[in-house]
Amino acid sequence: MAPILLWLIMFLCLLISVVKYLMGLILRLTFRGARIRKDYTYQPRVSVLMPCFNEGRTVYQTIESISKSSYPSESFEVIAQDDCSVDDSYEWMLKAQRDFTNIAIRVGRNEFNCGKARTVCNALEHSNAEVIISIDSDCIFHPDAIRELTACFAEPGIGSVGGRVGVSNPNDGIITAIQTMIYYSAFELYKMPENWTRSVCCISGCLYAIRRELLLELEPAIRARNWFGIPVNQGEDRFLTHQTLLRGYGTYINNDALCWTTVPNTLSVLFKQQLRWRRSIVRDFFFTMRTLPQHVWKLHPNTVLTLVLQPLGALVALLVVVTMLTSDPLAWAGPTPLVVYLGIAAVLSWAIKKYSARETLQHPLAFGAYIAWSLASTLFITPLALCTMDSADWGTRTKEQQEVAVGHAGS
Amino acid sequence: MPAVETSPTVVKARPPRQSLVHKSVITVYRIFAIVVLYAVLAGVFAYAFVMGFYALNSTWAAPIILSSYDEKSLDFMQKLVISRQTIEDLKVDLTRQQSTLAEMTRQRAALVALDPELQTAIVRERQHDQLTGPQLAALDAQKQTDNARTRAMLVEIHQLEAQIKSDLASGLITKGDAATQLAALNQAEGAYTDSKIADVLLSDTVMDKTTIGTKALDVLEKQAELRSEIAQLDITVSVAEKQLAEDTRQVDRLRDAISTAKQSPYYLNASGSKRLYFAFVPYDNQANAKPGSAIYDCYLNMVLCRKVGTVKQVFLGEEVISHPIFKTQVRGLTILMDLSHPESAKSQTVFLGRKPLLF
Repeated sequence: MAPILLWLIMFLCLLISVVKYLMGLILRLTFRGARIRKDYTYQPRVSVLMPCFNEGRTVYQTIESISKSSYPSESFEVIAQDDCSVDDSYEWMLKAQRDFTNIAIRVGRNEFNCGKARTVCNALEHSNAEVIISIDSDCIFHPDAIRELTACFAEPGIGSVGGRVGVSNPNDGIITAIQTMIYYSAFELYKMPENWTRSVCCISGCLYAIRRELLLELEPAIRARNWFGIPVNQGEDRFLTHQTLLRGYGTYINNDALCWTTVPNTLSVLFKQQLRWRRSIVRDFFFTMRTLPQHVWKLHPNTVLTLVLQPLGALVALLVVVTMLTSDPLAWAGPTPLVVYLGIAAVLSWAIKKYSARETLQHPLAFGAYIAWSLASTLFITPLALCTMDSADWGTRTKEQQEVAVGHAGS
Repeated sequence: MPAVETSPTVVKARPPRQSLVHKSVITVYRIFAIVVLYAVLAGVFAYAFVMGFYALNSTWAAPIILSSYDEKSLDFMQKLVISRQTIEDLKVDLTRQQSTLAEMTRQRAALVALDPELQTAIVRERQHDQLTGPQLAALDAQKQTDNARTRAMLVEIHQLEAQIKSDLASGLITKGDAATQLAALNQAEGAYTDSKIADVLLSDTVMDKTTIGTKALDVLEKQAELRSEIAQLDITVSVAEKQLAEDTRQVDRLRDAISTAKQSPYYLNASGSKRLYFAFVPYDNQANAKPGSAIYDCYLNMVLCRKVGTVKQVFLGEEVISHPIFKTQVRGLTILMDLSHPESAKSQTVFLGRKPLLF
């Protein structure tokens, strides 16, 4: 009975994934009604909150890209909040503040390192804008990004809007090439059915716009997030999106609001990033299970299925991979998976070259290596995530942690 | 131009300390997590080691437990029974064919013997005809001359009949004399008719004796039929002999096959009453698969090995099985094991010749 259940869940997860990708393709090609009606005349005051931790010079480049925004400069401000970086990030923020005088920039610093989510909340305290845009401090933004995000809030009921995250270093190596294809397919296809029902389950924290009153409503919950008393400072984007949906608002990803992030180019950094994401997924799954009736009652079935089956699929995939490796260890090494993955790679690389030239891949066939990565990822990341739920380590930006005295790098 | 400003540094209180319950839960969770993670790590290393070990090791063999109800054994026995039945059927056929062949040979011999007798009779008859034919022809000619002379005399007799009637009418002779004389005349005519009939019959006989008539043709036809029958019998006998030879060869082949099959592990397993222990040996390990080679069984299929028996017999027929670890198709042969520890037959692998890791 148990193996049948296992395979049934696995089959359902795969089926739903495939259906979502296919639906995404159909919606993209034919069904324009799936897209939100944007109103570019709607130009509310915007605060761009930029939490920062150990980003170094990148933070300067991020602010520089925002300073080139096409959104009226008098209608937006940047609030850069340093989370006690141990490098020179704060100095770079101050330099940006001095250099880009065409926009309003506030720079602040936490008293102690408290994680991205709480840093956003700290930055929020200095904002009085109608729309809050939280961004990652290692991204480069398209000049129209803010304009595209705010235009979506013209549709009543939309609580959060996300942007499309592209990869700025697609050709650094095999790892970045793989991530480029995954990012592209996720935003351009997988999220489309969720967009259709205005119920995107996870808007990327790289570029996340939310109504001020909603964020204020959620702020106590963000600050209070903990795992048996241990503060949780990861996966705030997933948490915010989930809470937005539960409060009856719609969520949407506007693929015309572009930003580019530098994705991990080494296995160790990628592993840490994926581990952090997996922890968020697992944590979110536990929350969903705990409040399942509320979800079923309030949310779109598509959303509930995604919230339940995506993490369940990760757990079941672990069991399936263990079963496969013990019963038929070389099954994954056959030509069929490789041919399938290379086929997907060929199609995706063509689409990327045609529709997102900036991310054009030099070696798209590197996607074949995703077989090995997905095996390792499924096998190790899920159990490791389950066993390190108490970890507050961000993973990818860890430098020697030390508390920085207030005003040490001062404003 | 928008104002450039610097916000004051945010000062926030640290989060409250954990409650005792939370601390306890987290402690238990961390202990559990550490155990699980080390178990996972150990599992991964063990798995990697097993994979590496079996990728490099070539002395392994995979014990196979064959039951009498095993599908292959049953299939094998079924084929064996069918082969034996075929031999029995062929034997019956052979006996029948041999009898038929003997009968046909006898019949042919009888027909062949008849042919010269018939030929002799024909020759003898022809010689006789050649002898009597001309004599009869001469007699026929003489007879025809006689008949011609008799006919001339009959004309005179007809004149005499008129004389008798005239004498009777004139009362020169009595009625009785007249009747007697007329009767004598009639007898002479009848004798003439008989003589003509005899002449015709004689002509026929002469024709039969001097020319080839239908009777002679009948005899020749009979002779041709006889020879045809002999030729047909020759063909039938030849075919029957070939069939007999083929069936005999088939029986020999089946006997050879059964003899070979009796050397198969499946036959030994299915036919014997004693429990037999077999193992699959990949070709990579064929060098160690020889009678008398030591067999080792190990814990965790790798370590702490002990000798559990020896190789008793090697079967040369190829077998293909799934690799016990990698599940890929492996070609090899089967051995019969003489096990001092029968439970080793249930091990996933055993090792031939030597211990795989020296302990």
